[in-house]
Amino acid sequence: MTVWEKLRPYGMVAPSIVIFSMFFIYPIFYMIYLSFYDWNFISPTKTFVGLQNFKDLLLDEDFRKVLSNTTVYTLLTVTLTTVLSLLLALWLNRKGFFHAFVQGAIFSPHIISLVSISLLWSWLMDPEYGLLNWVIGLFGFDKLQWLSHPGTALVSLVIVAVWKGLGYNTLVFIAGLQSIPSDIFEAAALDQSKPWTTFRRIILPMLSPTIFFLVIINMIGSFQVFETIAIMTQGGPVNSTNTLVYYIYENGFRFFKIGYASAAGVILLAIVGALTIIYFRLLSSRVHYR
Amino acid sequence: MNKKLMAVTLPVLMSMTLAACGGGNTATNNAGTNSGNNAEPASAAAGNTAKTEAPAEKITIHYWYAFGGKIEEAKQALVKKFNESQDRIEVIAETQGGYDDLHAKVQAAFAAGNEPAISDLEIASTGVFARSGMLQDLTELAARDNDTLKLEDFNPGLMGNAYVDEKLYGLPFMRSTPILYKNVTMLKDAGLDPAGPKTWDELEQYSKTLKEKGKVGMTMPADIWFYEGLVAQSGGTMLSEDGKTAAFNSPEGVAPVEFWKKMASEGLIKIPVGDEAGATADKDWANQLSAFKFGSTAGVSGSLEIAKGNNFEMDASFMPANVSYGVPTGGCQLVITSKLSDEEKEAAWEFLKFMTTAESTIYQHKYVGYLPTRLSALESPELQEHFKQYPQYKVAVDQLEYARPRPMETAYPEVASIVKTAIEKAIIDPKVTPQDALNEAAEKANKLLGK
Repeated sequence: MTVWEKLRPYGMVAPSIVIFSMFFIYPIFYMIYLSFYDWNFISPTKTFVGLQNFKDLLLDEDFRKVLSNTTVYTLLTVTLTTVLSLLLALWLNRKGFFHAFVQGAIFSPHIISLVSISLLWSWLMDPEYGLLNWVIGLFGFDKLQWLSHPGTALVSLVIVAVWKGLGYNTLVFIAGLQSIPSDIFEAAALDQSKPWTTFRRIILPMLSPTIFFLVIINMIGSFQVFETIAIMTQGGPVNSTNTLVYYIYENGFRFFKIGYASAAGVILLAIVGALTIIYFRLLSSRVHYR
Repeated sequence: MNKKLMAVTLPVLMSMTLAACGGGNTATNNAGTNSGNNAEPASAAAGNTAKTEAPAEKITIHYWYAFGGKIEEAKQALVKKFNESQDRIEVIAETQGGYDDLHAKVQAAFAAGNEPAISDLEIASTGVFARSGMLQDLTELAARDNDTLKLEDFNPGLMGNAYVDEKLYGLPFMRSTPILYKNVTMLKDAGLDPAGPKTWDELEQYSKTLKEKGKVGMTMPADIWFYEGLVAQSGGTMLSEDGKTAAFNSPEGVAPVEFWKKMASEGLIKIPVGDEAGATADKDWANQLSAFKFGSTAGVSGSLEIAKGNNFEMDASFMPANVSYGVPTGGCQLVITSKLSDEEKEAAWEFLKFMTTAESTIYQHKYVGYLPTRLSALESPELQEHFKQYPQYKVAVDQLEYARPRPMETAYPEVASIVKTAIEKAIIDPKVTPQDALNEAAEKANKLLGK
């Protein structure tokens, strides 16, 4: 083997490794480094404070609220998106103009910018003059406060996220459904399997890699939620929609507390890392690969 | 074996990617500012040389500003005028969103060494920026050029936020106070005195009548700036004299929240939330759903146009009084960043002086509605005539008598956020009293301010 042949693979992955290191690995280590300092990002002196930032964070009741908000938001968004899009996929997985149209319609939010979506839904959810309250009014229900009340604000954001994510998830599920070999369904039909049994014994196991993929992707997305919050609520009212990434942004760029924000970033890293590992451990035994 | 390895490495890799996207806001933001910064000047500079064949030593400096609409138009027009007035300095003006966005971007750019030479800065943030060493001390420059600058000509009511620790860091540019905007037509239709409410009680009475007509009195975000005004109207202050402790949990600070809570619970005012809360208030007023709005005097020109377009008569007056009138000042001043070469510094200073001349301030006042910052501008026949024709522009000027500077403590942006949360909590949650909410906020604020 010549030297070139030995080096070639390294040369070929080098660009991506360099970019990955510069924009992912280096910032992570820099963030961990900063989390031990008290710094405003500008002044020439960084003060080493050890674990003080972490102590402050854990004692801060706002931060606990932020953690619980993020968790609730993620759980609701992931569960609702996955279940609803699976149901939609089962319904839409057939040919015909109508089904193609519906599929296109629910996919369209995916390609709209989140900023536009946020503005749109802010109008729809306006407590006094919004379309949603008008519709609710037609059925004789009381008006909802939507984003203006701590009790409903987070759920309102979940609705937006689910609406936005539904189309993409459904599309992936349909692709998953279509890749299940038809001979399995034929065999099931010959055995006169009931629809529920077919779903539970064939579709679910065969779809498990898809489900697993979507759950992970949706979790990642939900943990990073930022735009809708920055535009629709700014973490309010009363911190009811303040989530981790927004909290980090606020502390870093509005309150000039980079060390504190980095410490929160490290906690985000730890939580998401742990969750991902747990997921892989738990699900790898149950995910059915062909 | 392979599969096991995969099961370990994949999650680790994924979690790293996640954290980079989540925690690493810093990185993305920086990268964004950098690329934007590098790309634009290059093309703009290239365009320049081609167009004017300027001498080689022509200096290009960057000016970052906030807001769009009329405010942006006025700023761009002034920059254009400056660029055409001389051929040594080329100013490139770049919009950066609202004040919060602007501050965040200046800060990130400063850390990355890509900061603009000159920038708008919301007045309450002068303290943070100056004490972090990001701003050029202008004291000497101002003393040197005072023959032309005439520092004493600036309205003294606007200079409170220009100094930090007795050093001059900015000059008043687009400065404001909040005022009360009124839909006179709506008041007349409801059989109300079009003069509008002078006191909190009157505001409540007006709103009750308007509610009977199916309107709300006012749509008003629980904005910290308005709150500062209502605290002043009650005779209180946000912070203690030395800025080390919170003072907003005094009876004078609680009164505004009690008032808002009562009004909101009776459906007399509507309190929107979020980034668009201010826009919602404007929209409700423009669509004649609410009769009043609080707003910066920066909105006078825009509001006059809206009223004309929507066929109603509009007027403005002081924010209603509790024990007295009172308002915070607001808006931005122009600041120069601290890491410039002498040449750039002089260029930025030249530009800053141009932007704050009497002529410039008259222009921006008439075009947008911000306060005329100079006494000579106020006394000019041009503005006296203008006031006669459009008394709405004069409200904020007269109200300056009752104005006070905004707090400039380093921790104030965070304190403001804590207070805002407390106010929202007190208004929304029937079980929480304003006093309890503000006491809790004061406790948190004291920890931050005491540092």
